Amino acid sequence: MIDAAIKTIFVLLYVTVAFIMTRRDIISLISTYATQSFLLACLAGLLYMQERHATLLWLAALILIIKMVLIPSTIRSIQKKMKRDMEFAYVSPTGSLMLSIVIILLSYGALSHLLRELGLGQLFALGAITGVSFTMMGLVVIFSRKLVLTKIIGYLAMEDGVMIFSMFVAELPLIIEALILVDLFMLIILSTILALGMETTIEEVHKRLQVLVGEEK
Amino acid sequence: MIALLNILVAVLISPLFMTFIKKVKAWAQRRQGPPLLQGYYTFMKLLKKETVLSTNSSWIMRWAAPINLAVMIIAALFIPIVGIGGSGNILLFLYLLALAKFFMALAGLDAGSTFGGMGSSREMTISAVIEPVTVIVFAALAYVLGTMDIHRMALAVLANGPQAALVLISMSLFIILIVETARVPVDNPETHLELTMVHEAMILEQSGKNLAFMELAHAIKQTLLMGLLMSVLFPYGLATETTLVALVFGIGAFIVKGLCISFFVGLFESSMAKSRLFLLPNLFMLAYFFSFLTILFEVFA
Amino acid sequence: MDLFTAGFASMMGGALLRSRVLTLLACLLIAGAAGIFLTENQTITATFYEIVPGLSFAVHIDRLAAFFMLTIAAVSFCVSLYSVEYINQYKHKGLLISLMNIFILSMLLTVAAGNTFSFLFFWELMALSSFFLVMFEYDNDKTRKAGLFYFIMTQLSTLFLFIAFSLLYSYTGTTSMEKIILQEKSTFLFLALFIGFGIKAGIIPFHKWLPYAHPASPSNISALMSGVMIKVAIYGLLRFLLVLPAELWWGLLILGAGTVSALLGVIYALKEHDIKGLLAYHSIENIGIIYMGIGLFVIFSHYNVPALAAMSMAAALFHTLNHALFKSLLFLTAGHVVHTTKTRNIDEMGGLIRQMPYTALLFLIGAMAISGLPPFNGFVSELLLFQALFNASAVHNPIIELVLIICLSLLALTSALAAACFVKAFGMIFLAMPRSAQKTHEASWPMLLGEGLLALACVILGIFSPLYLNSLGYALPNMMFIGGALLFSILFFFLLARANTRYCETWGCGLISQTPRMEYTASGFSEPIVTIFSTIYNPQKHVSKEFFDKSQTLVREGHVEFHLMRFFEEYLYMPIANAAMVIASRIDTLHQKDMGAYIAYVFIAAVILLLWVGWFA
Repeated sequence: MIDAAIKTIFVLLYVTVAFIMTRRDIISLISTYATQSFLLACLAGLLYMQERHATLLWLAALILIIKMVLIPSTIRSIQKKMKRDMEFAYVSPTGSLMLSIVIILLSYGALSHLLRELGLGQLFALGAITGVSFTMMGLVVIFSRKLVLTKIIGYLAMEDGVMIFSMFVAELPLIIEALILVDLFMLIILSTILALGMETTIEEVHKRLQVLVGEEK
Repeated sequence: MIALLNILVAVLISPLFMTFIKKVKAWAQRRQGPPLLQGYYTFMKLLKKETVLSTNSSWIMRWAAPINLAVMIIAALFIPIVGIGGSGNILLFLYLLALAKFFMALAGLDAGSTFGGMGSSREMTISAVIEPVTVIVFAALAYVLGTMDIHRMALAVLANGPQAALVLISMSLFIILIVETARVPVDNPETHLELTMVHEAMILEQSGKNLAFMELAHAIKQTLLMGLLMSVLFPYGLATETTLVALVFGIGAFIVKGLCISFFVGLFESSMAKSRLFLLPNLFMLAYFFSFLTILFEVFA
Repeated sequence: MDLFTAGFASMMGGALLRSRVLTLLACLLIAGAAGIFLTENQTITATFYEIVPGLSFAVHIDRLAAFFMLTIAAVSFCVSLYSVEYINQYKHKGLLISLMNIFILSMLLTVAAGNTFSFLFFWELMALSSFFLVMFEYDNDKTRKAGLFYFIMTQLSTLFLFIAFSLLYSYTGTTSMEKIILQEKSTFLFLALFIGFGIKAGIIPFHKWLPYAHPASPSNISALMSGVMIKVAIYGLLRFLLVLPAELWWGLLILGAGTVSALLGVIYALKEHDIKGLLAYHSIENIGIIYMGIGLFVIFSHYNVPALAAMSMAAALFHTLNHALFKSLLFLTAGHVVHTTKTRNIDEMGGLIRQMPYTALLFLIGAMAISGLPPFNGFVSELLLFQALFNASAVHNPIIELVLIICLSLLALTSALAAACFVKAFGMIFLAMPRSAQKTHEASWPMLLGEGLLALACVILGIFSPLYLNSLGYALPNMMFIGGALLFSILFFFLLARANTRYCETWGCGLISQTPRMEYTASGFSEPIVTIFSTIYNPQKHVSKEFFDKSQTLVREGHVEFHLMRFFEEYLYMPIANAAMVIASRIDTLHQKDMGAYIAYVFIAAVILLLWVGWFA
């Protein structure tokens, strides 16, 4: 039963990445990311029911607080002007979905015998594949989106991939996970400041120009 | 026996679902909406009217509507509506729908009007792009349930209980339902003589009994796809034996389930806007990705 | 055996006497002989004429060969029946008849060949006779270009086969078909066979000759070439594939080539407005589908699933037969349309259903069969292939399973696009109003009879073949019941709808009367698909305008050009051709000398030979 639930969550997670790849609406992008984090927390919770590591529960709580609530609300509060991201580079959204099918196949092909040697169970192998392909798909988002803000969401998706991989294969100590999350939060703040900073400077230039126009009159 | 009852119920109940969706959409817009039996009234009215044919049209025009209705009635054999009886190869079902579409598109071109041609062109384009999704969803069903027969699929679900994968497949099936029945965001069933329309443009030249047949065929198609969705997602209530109680219960269960799906379709349509024709492959690719993943997880496990 | 001999003899007689009746008789005899042969499990082996020891003309007919001979003979019969009337429009009738006889005979003998030598001999005969037939309207520039292109491609195919057969001989030491059994790995051999037969079959990227050669040749010849000749290549591939120790990647290669050909074939067909060119692209598509079946056969055999392997092989063989039937039907009907309208551009046709109702009906049957719609034969073979692909889980190798699933979805896309393409073709040719002034007439009865037989075969095979296949253990739906019920209910509703009808003009959006310019054109019809698949077509638009005034507001004249990229021509064929030209020009400079230089070449060659003999040999 838990196995089936975990598998379903995997598929749903993939769907959220697919949405992150293709959506043009920034608000729904952010809420998709929040959903993804929620699913991740569920995953950690389910894994706790199977493994009984207290670390996993802590992780679930951390994800819920930081990734589901804090980061989306930060982005929302900073970013109010831009509504849509229509600009794509290198690959179209449809193309990146096709690309991701290839990525999943590739990561399976590359990892399958490696994981067999490690002697991991079916579910854990799936987790590893999901993690790796998530990271790759996040990369695709980063290079195919043009806006800085959406690039950040790509980075976040990539980070989720690392987290899934570590949950299922590497068993990173909690402290490192926490550090990653803190890192991430810092990065969000930094890049949004960067993105916003650029915009404010443009606005300032615009204001000055307006002043000039006024003086001419 | 059950097979015949399936056909009969599908034919009789289809206009009701069609109208109910309109009603739900009306409610969403805080309007009254048409009376629930409007579909039947329209059908009877059209049957009484004379058929006007274009002087440019040929026998294709005259045969298209009967072919459409006949194909849908035969296709009703394949889907467990009231009960499980008979056999239904899922691919043959798909290709019967394609046969109907083929003639509908030809009829759209037959009168030589621009609208008809535009409708046919778009319809064939959309149906071509959705086809890989449909087949892969069906393949996923065959994968999970281990059979290509829709009736046996329903039996398998009844026997094994709900599975996680089936819920996921149902979402893709829902997208197929929306696309095949020409609804928002793919098509807009409300518009006439507008550049957004696809299905309505194709049957613009139909009139009288032919139009009645076309619309009934369209309604039956919607019912069948709903039936397919239900037999995968929630087949409970289907009659498995030919007792009176089971059959009556089956009919009742089908109407209730159908109204539920119709309600959902109506809400879905109200919450969406018609999307640009060339953005549709995007949506379909999502559905494809979705069903591919389902298979992927079935395969890896 | 006697029947075969009689058939071959009468075909030969037909070629010599230029008699149409003998051709018909010969086809009938051979079809009958092959039909009888198929039901019995035996083989015929005979040697006719030994040129030198080891090289002889021999015949070896088993059930595989008999199946292909039946296909060839049956289709040839219908085509010959059609040709009785059709060829009257050509000047050199006698030549056309005898060439056609030689062509059919060489195809039959290629299939019946008992050793690789006679296979190659008749293969070449087939190539040459078909080349002459393509060049039949040689006074047309385009035909000459097409003929040359075809000639080069077909010789390339023979070259690869020659390499393959030499390798085969060096491995096994025999030329006889029945004795060839190979155990060791033979990558080069397979590749040579794959390319050699691939060129003839028209697999992408070796497909380019088809859309040139088919439109150029007379329609009955296109029907033969597209319907049967490319099937001989399928036969060759199967014949050798069955005796070689197949590896997994062979199957994947064949499957991949098939999928790509099927998809790209139909995608190219959609933008084609030359009716015969469109049909030629559909040949590529269908050959792709057949290749998919063969590839699946190899894959399933490799994973030791004999039932599914047999199913995919049945799908491939059955589709071979079906494609031969409906494609020749389509080419024949298209031939009549082209003959009476004097144009091949479907944008200039329209409304022909009123002048030629029977031709329209026959074309419609062909179109539905090729689109894989029930209850016609194309549906049954595609269904077999789909079922084989649906059972991909039997492979037990996740990556391969997923590859098969992807192929499955691409196959579905292909067949849906084919339906769209034939809605376009039928709609533009036969429906609505005529787009240009035409004086057309219905085909004469021998032509209709030839086409009608093919159409009948399509229907009968579609309805009754599931019964036969089910008796072999396949779970196909009962098409007889479905077809009957469909027919009954269609008739019922038709009679119901017939009463109370009035004719009126189509509403012209407020204009007084409707003109053909209001109709959708073929380009317009396929425009959405071209837009969606623009990555493949890579359409380019050049607009040039001339203006009356300087500020460019009043347009005097405008000119728009649309170009679709010809990927394979630009990136595969032309570089190879250019490389050949560069090498040739290098060699050419060697020849721009006086006689002394040539003697010097001889001297250098002699020295090299001496060195070779002295030290290396």
